[in-house]
Amino acid sequence: MSLSLRAPSLRRRPSRPSLSGGGPLRAVGIVLLWLFVALNVAGLVWVVFQSFRDTRSILSSPFGLPDSWSFENFSTAWKVSDFATATFNSVSVAVISSVVTVALAAPAAYYLSRHESRLNRNLTLFFILGLGVPVQVILIPLFVMLNQVSLTNSLIGLNLVYIGISMPFTVFLLTGFFRSLPAELEEAAALDGASPIGTFLRVMLPVAKGGILTAFVLQLISHWNETLLALTLLQSTDKYTLPVALISFVQQQTYSGADWGGLFAGLCIVILPLLAVYLWLGRKLSEGLTLGMGK
Amino acid sequence: MSVEARERPSDAVNAPRSKPRKRGRETNGTLSQQRRKLLIPFVGPALTFYVVLFIIPTGAAVWISLHNWAGSGPMTWTGLSNYTALFQDELFKKSLWNTLLLLVVVGVVMFVLSFAMTLVLRDMAGRKIARSIIFFPHLINALVYGVLAGFLFNPGGLVNTLLKPFGVTEPPQWLAQDNLFPLIMLTLTFMTTGYYTTILMAGVDRIPPYYYEDCAMAGANAWQRLRYVILPLTWDVFGVCAVLWTISSVKIFEIVWIFGGSSGSGIPPTQTWTAAVYTYATAFSGESLPAYGAATASAIISLALVTVLVVLIRRVMRRDVIEF
Repeated sequence: MSLSLRAPSLRRRPSRPSLSGGGPLRAVGIVLLWLFVALNVAGLVWVVFQSFRDTRSILSSPFGLPDSWSFENFSTAWKVSDFATATFNSVSVAVISSVVTVALAAPAAYYLSRHESRLNRNLTLFFILGLGVPVQVILIPLFVMLNQVSLTNSLIGLNLVYIGISMPFTVFLLTGFFRSLPAELEEAAALDGASPIGTFLRVMLPVAKGGILTAFVLQLISHWNETLLALTLLQSTDKYTLPVALISFVQQQTYSGADWGGLFAGLCIVILPLLAVYLWLGRKLSEGLTLGMGK
Repeated sequence: MSVEARERPSDAVNAPRSKPRKRGRETNGTLSQQRRKLLIPFVGPALTFYVVLFIIPTGAAVWISLHNWAGSGPMTWTGLSNYTALFQDELFKKSLWNTLLLLVVVGVVMFVLSFAMTLVLRDMAGRKIARSIIFFPHLINALVYGVLAGFLFNPGGLVNTLLKPFGVTEPPQWLAQDNLFPLIMLTLTFMTTGYYTTILMAGVDRIPPYYYEDCAMAGANAWQRLRYVILPLTWDVFGVCAVLWTISSVKIFEIVWIFGGSSGSGIPPTQTWTAAVYTYATAFSGESLPAYGAATASAIISLALVTVLVVLIRRVMRRDVIEF
């Protein structure tokens, strides 16, 4: 397993010369591609629009526009179906576990990437091997372990689990990132008499801010979306995170009749924070998940 | 090495390079010792979390899978009988088959589509914005797509409304139990194609433009350019994508769990089960006595599947790396 990692770079490329043959096949391809793009945008806009309409009008004219921008669905979902608690739980778990994950993984990744030795290479590999383990493997042992220390049905337990399972990816991403930083920085700091910990905190961390932010937000997103572990470990509604609340909301509807308005509002609560984060950090995130991965 | 270290404990750390320059060795020694001391504070905490919450559970999973256990009460050692029982269980075989279908069929279709989209995107006007948009679905929880599919395909849903003007008065029962899985595959393809397109794009973007200029001068046609430039230079990225998809397809759970609104009992119809759903349902469904042994055994089989496939993919995809 050779691991050559390169951190996301923000280098701009010169605009390339047009090379397309301009054949009919390509024209069709371009049309199809824009259709696909449009479908994605339209789907998102459509979900947001429907969340402002009541179930009857959604069903009678699924493409209708909302009559008014009333937040009735949202307030019902928020209060009656208790998405408020779930949102609060999701936000706190995602933020806390991501902060701790990055705080633990950054020094480890820094050490492993800057000091070449066989031990460090093996340790890096040991971390990265975790990427290949499907989460269902550790599901039952984790449940049993946490049950013994009374941390099931607890957000603290969920936080711990999220920190543990995020280590492989975060260490992987950040070792690649630290490796791309110039070694001269450290040498200069050492010459100036900075201690190794001081070098890490005052020289390397500020330089690595971008990569660390990317790692943090990628964890934030994955913990926000994580479903299987939350579904297993949380049992009472006051502990539910958003995905679990959404599942229980959908399942209740098989008895109480579909409340599509409320459901669309719930979907918006799940999607829109992600959209906001993506608009804020878009390129960094996609580069973290593609370049960081692809090389 | 270890023998040498025992004989000369004081020199053990620097033994290999102790000979040539004495002074150099001295400073090297203190530096590396200093560094070694930092291993614990820097790597220790991360390693502890990882080992306690990831590695130990993985080991425990292997252990539990060799037992008969209902979660509480005694564990009885059964050796490999959980595994042999699984391969006689029609439901498990169906679940594993479904996982393989996702892995292979969705994988192949998605790769062909992604590669085609990459080629179109490569020098298209507005490529940046198109690329950012098709990446976004990857960030959304798959649950959302499962719920939306329920709205689109239910009998009075959007798809049937759209089909009505075309004279389709008796549309297929989209959400009949046997049709669900193909719909899941379709939805997954739709969800994931954009992400893999962006990864392939990152690979294609690294190809320096002078290769294309060479092609143009040599009079290569589009096919030759694809065959002799783009494919060989993005081969390693394909390999990474294949590994990535293998790993992520084996743990697909949410979308199956909720697809089409799910059934009343909360457990999806068995026709759609994947390996991950099998593991969860066998242990936590609450319908029958939980069988932790069988459930973890099924998860270990998924792990074995991933391991074998990743090793195979790396073998097959291995080429001499082309530096450029």
